[in-house]
Amino acid sequence: MKRKNLYLASIVALSVLMSSHVAFSADDTLRFRLGEDPESLYNVETKSLTADAVINQYLLERLVYFDQTGTPKPWLAESWEVNDDQTELVFTLRDGIAFHDGTPFDADAVAAQFNTILDPATASPQLPSMGTLEKVEALDAKTVRFTFSEPYAPFFIALATEGGGINSPTAVAKHGRDYGRNPVGTGPYMLERWIPGTEITLVRNPNYHQQIRDDVANKGAPKPEKIILTVISEEGVAQAALETGELTAATLQADTIEQFVDNPDFKTIIDKTHPNLVFLEFNHRRAPFDDPAFRTAIGHAIDREAAVAAAWGGFASAALSPLSLGIPGFDGDIAQSHGTPFDPEKAKALLADLGWVDSDGDGLLDKDGKTARFVVRSYAGFSHIERTLQVIQSNLADIGIEVELETSDWGAFYPSLLQDDWDMDLMRWTNNDAGILTELFHSPGHRKTLPPSPKIDDILARCDQTMDPSLRAGCIRDAQKALLEEMIIVPILTNWVVTATQSNVEDYTIDYLGYLIPGDLWLSN
Amino acid sequence: MTAYIVRRLVLIVPIVIGILFVTFLIKALIPTDAVTALYLGSVSEDKAAEAIAAIRAKYGLDQPWYQQFASYVGNILQGDLGESIRTRRPVAEEIGFRYWNTLILTFSALVVAVVVGVATGIVSAYFKNTWLDVTAMSVGIMGISMPAFFFGLVLIFIFSVQLRWLPVIGSGDFQSLILPAVTLGLIEAAPLSRITRSSMLDVMSREYVRTARAKGMAETYVVFRHALPNALLSILTIIGLQIGNLLGGAFIIEVIFGWHGIGELAVKAIQWRDFTITQAIILVSAGTYVLVNLVVDILYTRADPRIDYG
Repeated sequence: MKRKNLYLASIVALSVLMSSHVAFSADDTLRFRLGEDPESLYNVETKSLTADAVINQYLLERLVYFDQTGTPKPWLAESWEVNDDQTELVFTLRDGIAFHDGTPFDADAVAAQFNTILDPATASPQLPSMGTLEKVEALDAKTVRFTFSEPYAPFFIALATEGGGINSPTAVAKHGRDYGRNPVGTGPYMLERWIPGTEITLVRNPNYHQQIRDDVANKGAPKPEKIILTVISEEGVAQAALETGELTAATLQADTIEQFVDNPDFKTIIDKTHPNLVFLEFNHRRAPFDDPAFRTAIGHAIDREAAVAAAWGGFASAALSPLSLGIPGFDGDIAQSHGTPFDPEKAKALLADLGWVDSDGDGLLDKDGKTARFVVRSYAGFSHIERTLQVIQSNLADIGIEVELETSDWGAFYPSLLQDDWDMDLMRWTNNDAGILTELFHSPGHRKTLPPSPKIDDILARCDQTMDPSLRAGCIRDAQKALLEEMIIVPILTNWVVTATQSNVEDYTIDYLGYLIPGDLWLSN
Repeated sequence: MTAYIVRRLVLIVPIVIGILFVTFLIKALIPTDAVTALYLGSVSEDKAAEAIAAIRAKYGLDQPWYQQFASYVGNILQGDLGESIRTRRPVAEEIGFRYWNTLILTFSALVVAVVVGVATGIVSAYFKNTWLDVTAMSVGIMGISMPAFFFGLVLIFIFSVQLRWLPVIGSGDFQSLILPAVTLGLIEAAPLSRITRSSMLDVMSREYVRTARAKGMAETYVVFRHALPNALLSILTIIGLQIGNLLGGAFIIEVIFGWHGIGELAVKAIQWRDFTITQAIILVSAGTYVLVNLVVDILYTRADPRIDYG
């Protein structure tokens, strides 16, 4: 009898288990993936892109946004003026906007945000992006003045991203060091709950003001009631959760996205102008990489289309310009006229002119007794980068250069470039402004390998100081040309950022800077 | 017995300090720390050099490693685990709930491993060299050789994606515990099953088993009353060792199943170079392992009354 009961019980248990299909939300809750748990949701004390997405898409708003042409437009600011020496920016702020905690949005809040970043005691990782900004003063409740030691054009991007989101000064003071767990902004969503390492629940802001931005379709309150951001670091898990409907949408890597493209159960949103660039860099301190002609030869040896196809599954655009095609100022004509398209014969001819020939018949080039064997470094953990390295390795082998690939995780790889024991590295940067060219390539360069180059340094400095957008575009064009003439780096590709959503997700819109506009989203049924 | 337990507990302290010493040595060899890692995302660390130096000084990262080690051990002895450099929150808060989650996962997996491993081991031994035995042992070999992450993904594919019985995203409830516990448990069941089989075979050929059978006892009684208790000692030893494997295995399983335990955090903390977190996790994992083995040693005296620690 006893045994029979146990048998019955297990049957019942099993059938309960099997019938309890996972319940998927049909309600007004959206579930998105977070690649990692943000360390903080206070944009003054974090530089993480994951944190930035949570903070600036949902919780906080900025003084300006960028429209689809890459031009700054007023948002929390109504208008602004620049003085004649372009060292003062005076913003007039909008009226009648309040933070989630009821604190009115005013000039003091703006001044507090930026002065906290500028204060050395804060040790804010956002400090470098403030450039030459010296101080911020509230002139009256609606007017705020930014003073610079010298003109700094990339500042508008800084205003529209990351540290530019304005926090409630009352909440910052109230929570002190715990503010990063209790962010308060003026955005369409408010933080409801944060289970560390697990999920962040956002709820619609019931007192949301009219949406101000012109590029937003829904001016009223956002449609989805709740947004749950779930921490999923494993790509395979995110892929499975999207398939089962546990996630509404997820940004996935090229390898995993393929099965969602052309699948009627899903939609894909492909950002082909993401402002990133994958490129080959050189240790300019070491021969033969100190010679522009040698670097140009390497540029002609790289088959970018092969890298796009083999390493990125076709989800990338080949690049010939040192500026990503997603950044304002990119000039495709200069890329064509001054770039190094794939031409292995030309590469070999250039190398032969420099004295690199296979004199001992071992299949590798040599010159003055030195064989063409070099070290290429990059970071581990990203299959696309690792496969790009393999394409480069095989391209260079075809022209008689042998390279050894060394990868380690970013935290070990990036500092290792400050040493002198490498020849080339494969790098990838994402940045929304051409100011990245200065950050990376103004001598001595971000890894201190570049010799002084008055021509390039002057152009880059001029670009950063030119506030007028059309004058600046001309300057950025000159910079691309100068960097290509010296072949400071070899551009390879810009990868696309692809998001897959369930088929009932409508108006999943990404703005010019790559931020999702959550208020426009809705679910059709 | 009490004196023995106290002695063993006191011995944990030097063991843990020794483990910490080794982690500090490893840390000293790694070129970056948490502060650099935080700023690496921004190109111009130079502009923030002063700020970086200030944070580094605040966390004592500018001192030589042996000084950092001395002050760390001093704080630990006062019960202070420090704060995470990345989140600036107390370490105890960061790992507390995660440690509990890892314990739940580890012990659920242990239950799966013991139930499946011991049962198949007994069946294999009893039906030695039949198809039942061969099948069980072949499956066991697969279990030993299959990497945990692969097995985990296969289970996710079958039970979550295809059958839709269980959720992919771990929310910490019973449903999301099933797959990780089964994955981890089945992998550890395989070696346990082999040990059970061989020690049961050894015991089953003893004369007292033959005597029991000669007396006409029921087979279940012979197996469970005469044979199993005598085979238990070696099974217990293996279980004690396996808890270490389970704790280690949980590190990988937690990442795959999004189970928010200390293993998942450890993997990330290493990438973030957040050493206060890494050290605290090493500390509690090592402590748990040592404690569990103490419990196993005490259980020996129950399994075999001849054992006495005096």
